[in-house]
Amino acid sequence: MKKHVLTASFLLSAMASFAGGYQLNLQGLRQLAMGGSGTAWPWDASTIFYNPGGLARLHGIQIYGSASFVMPVTAYGNRDNSGTTPASFQTTRQTFTPFNFYVGGRIQEYSRFAVGLGIYTPFGTGVSWDDNWIGKYIVQSIDLKTVFFQPTISFRASEALSFGGGFVFGTGTVDFRRAMPIHGSLGADNDDGQAHLRGNGTGVGFNLGVNFRARHNLQFGLTYRSQVNMDVDGGSATFNVPASLTDSFPNTTFRSRLPLPQVASVGMGWRLGDVTLQLDLNYTGWNSYDSLRFDFKQTTSTLDNIRAPRKYRNTLTTRFGLNYKISRSVALMCGGAYDPTPVTNGYVSPDLPDADRIVLSCGISVKPLRGLTVMAALESINAVKRTGTYDFAGFSGVYKTGVVNPGVGLYYYF
Amino acid sequence: MMKKIYTIGALAIAFASCTPNAKITPPISSGNATFTNYMAIGCSYTAGFADNSLTVSGQLNSYPQRLFEQFEIISDNKRAVGPFIQPLVTGDNGYPNPKLVLSTKTYCDGTMKLAPSPTTVPLDSNGSWQYISPVNNGQVNNISIPYIRVADYRVSGYAANINHYGNRFYYDPAARPMDELYSRVFNLHPTFFTIWLGMYDIFGYAAAGGQGDGTGLATPVSLNYYNPQDITPTAVFTDIYDSIVNAAASVSGSGALLNIPDISALPYFTAIPANGLYLTRKGQADTLQALYANSKFDKVFQEGYNYFIIRDHNDQVRQAVPGELILMSIPIDSIKCAGWGSTTPIPREYVLTTGELQNIRNTVNSFNAYIKQQCTLRQLAYVDMNAFMESLSSGISYNGIDYTAEFVSGGAFSLDGVHFNARGNALVANHIINTINDYYKSSIPRTDANRYPGIKYP
Repeated sequence: MKKHVLTASFLLSAMASFAGGYQLNLQGLRQLAMGGSGTAWPWDASTIFYNPGGLARLHGIQIYGSASFVMPVTAYGNRDNSGTTPASFQTTRQTFTPFNFYVGGRIQEYSRFAVGLGIYTPFGTGVSWDDNWIGKYIVQSIDLKTVFFQPTISFRASEALSFGGGFVFGTGTVDFRRAMPIHGSLGADNDDGQAHLRGNGTGVGFNLGVNFRARHNLQFGLTYRSQVNMDVDGGSATFNVPASLTDSFPNTTFRSRLPLPQVASVGMGWRLGDVTLQLDLNYTGWNSYDSLRFDFKQTTSTLDNIRAPRKYRNTLTTRFGLNYKISRSVALMCGGAYDPTPVTNGYVSPDLPDADRIVLSCGISVKPLRGLTVMAALESINAVKRTGTYDFAGFSGVYKTGVVNPGVGLYYYF
Repeated sequence: MMKKIYTIGALAIAFASCTPNAKITPPISSGNATFTNYMAIGCSYTAGFADNSLTVSGQLNSYPQRLFEQFEIISDNKRAVGPFIQPLVTGDNGYPNPKLVLSTKTYCDGTMKLAPSPTTVPLDSNGSWQYISPVNNGQVNNISIPYIRVADYRVSGYAANINHYGNRFYYDPAARPMDELYSRVFNLHPTFFTIWLGMYDIFGYAAAGGQGDGTGLATPVSLNYYNPQDITPTAVFTDIYDSIVNAAASVSGSGALLNIPDISALPYFTAIPANGLYLTRKGQADTLQALYANSKFDKVFQEGYNYFIIRDHNDQVRQAVPGELILMSIPIDSIKCAGWGSTTPIPREYVLTTGELQNIRNTVNSFNAYIKQQCTLRQLAYVDMNAFMESLSSGISYNGIDYTAEFVSGGAFSLDGVHFNARGNALVANHIINTINDYYKSSIPRTDANRYPGIKYP
């Protein structure tokens, strides 16, 4: 007995969701409300993520926390299955809660040095289809979470120029389920087997930034966040198959490497009275994500290591935002972004049915007490309707993704 | 200030209430064909025969059943109207042959492997041999009979004396299948028909290891009846095929003719590789080399995989050459323990030699040329099942599964290695729909083949 139906296109696309549209730009509430822009202007301690160079610009010590409630829904339609089978499917509504925590500031009141620590969730969401949906042999559900820890140091070289850098230690978990076209585990000829992969990964990288204050009301930012290779070692792979096939699909462990891409950003912030305008460009090096590999510790004639082509392309995202300071204690924000997809035609898979995204956002910040700022933001992401094929698995359809994402946060100056 | 907060709140609700939608519901057009009454004409492949038997679930998963379901959802008034009636048997275990199921087999050398074997549950003897048509003066939409050849259509008493599957629902089992065909056509008045016939005009020859006549010179053994081990002469095939299409088309102008796949690509002929003689030691190779030292044929024996020793169609003992096929009917124990293929040549009934394969392929080509000609002449859709079989052999990537023509693991064939399983039948239906849509400018959706049963493992 050889592969094909047994291994088929087994597991290939697991963890794809680390990429693409699941790169979250939720590392700061005010930035979230401003279309995700924030490379130039160090608003608060979240600049540890957006531009470590800005940390030395902050006054005092700041502690910062925020959380978002990401609610993505993807609809899938396939004309080929209208009539006798459902023509459309929708992912189960789920809420994910990425969070951020930052603490940092100058080490002494007039010091040129500042230090800080950021803990944030740059990737983290998931897709859950009905277990019996038409694409079940590609993916039933995928769920992933990442947490990055970033100790950071920043140096103010002059009134105009400051630098910063942070070391990134990333951890993550992934949980992936897919049906296997092997029947009989429940004693029927139309039940399915299932593959379930779970793993933890870690990786390291860095985050560098330069803040350039051209004038008191005009700032520029330049940042580079390195690629972080999340290495999964000893993840568990379990296969629910009929008794006669347990030797062919032994429960085993797997290794994998998931490249989280490098991002270079340039930004500009310009203050005109009570209004601050921001513009960011992010260039993301998705092409490092050429293919996905899974190496099982134990392989058999039916269970092969997996290599799935991804062939992502680099993307350039444009973000803009506006902050309007209504009074000493209240500001309103709004913004938007155009986020083109790294997923090329022929590789549109239902575990990451990504498409070009249009982001709209708004928010409010209030200072109820001296030193304390409370923020709320709301982001809506609309992926354009995409007719895509996943040639590797012979799968096609129309996808439409919408994400609603409210968030709250606060920070306090000591 | 509060006003603004309200505005944001209202915005939030607006955001949250928009749910993405990817529904696609264009009207499904029948194009230039009328699907109101669909009739399927064929052999085992069309009857829903699978796992070497006819069972009710096999019938309900036949490709005509899938086609009808898709024809039924057409938006305009040329959609198919039910009921779609097949001459269903009563049970799911098979009759007169037990169906095949996968189970663990222990071979003579003590090795164990999953392999098909006849089910041990009691057969569906009760009532399976009689079919009583329930409605409309005995309406039957699928008049296929397992094993029937084009050549059989002029044999009187075929259903009564030769093929009892026909006996189940024929108006007059003593008549010729051709007479029955006319009766059924006049009963149903099909507006659309499919015909898939001709495989068994060749298959009997192939399944007998090419022992019959493969050159097209066979003669009837009794009145109009040909030996099932002979390939039907092309002139006989074309003459009768023309009459069959003529009968089917006597009421309707629209339909599809399915051509004949290269049957040597079926798992039945490919599951056991011709170079399956595995020698673990140099000594074994030397022994065989010495054994055949005085034989004239070219031979190579070495450690690893070697071509089997066979008896060919000229009754000569020799080593098989690349491309030759061993039939799945061969007793595996004889290979493992009785020296078949090494010290004893494999009998010719289990071998298709290069010459025999050439006979099969020549016949497939000439039959298909005629079927295509019929399509052009009568303006019918020509469904290239041979091309379908070719793409299945190289792998069809479909909704996360790579379907192939491999035995068991390929996912499309049933355990007899000859007939499709439910998923394979759905893929066949989809291939037919593609052709119909092209030819009749219709827009019938395909079915989701992965919804249907596959092979069950113990």
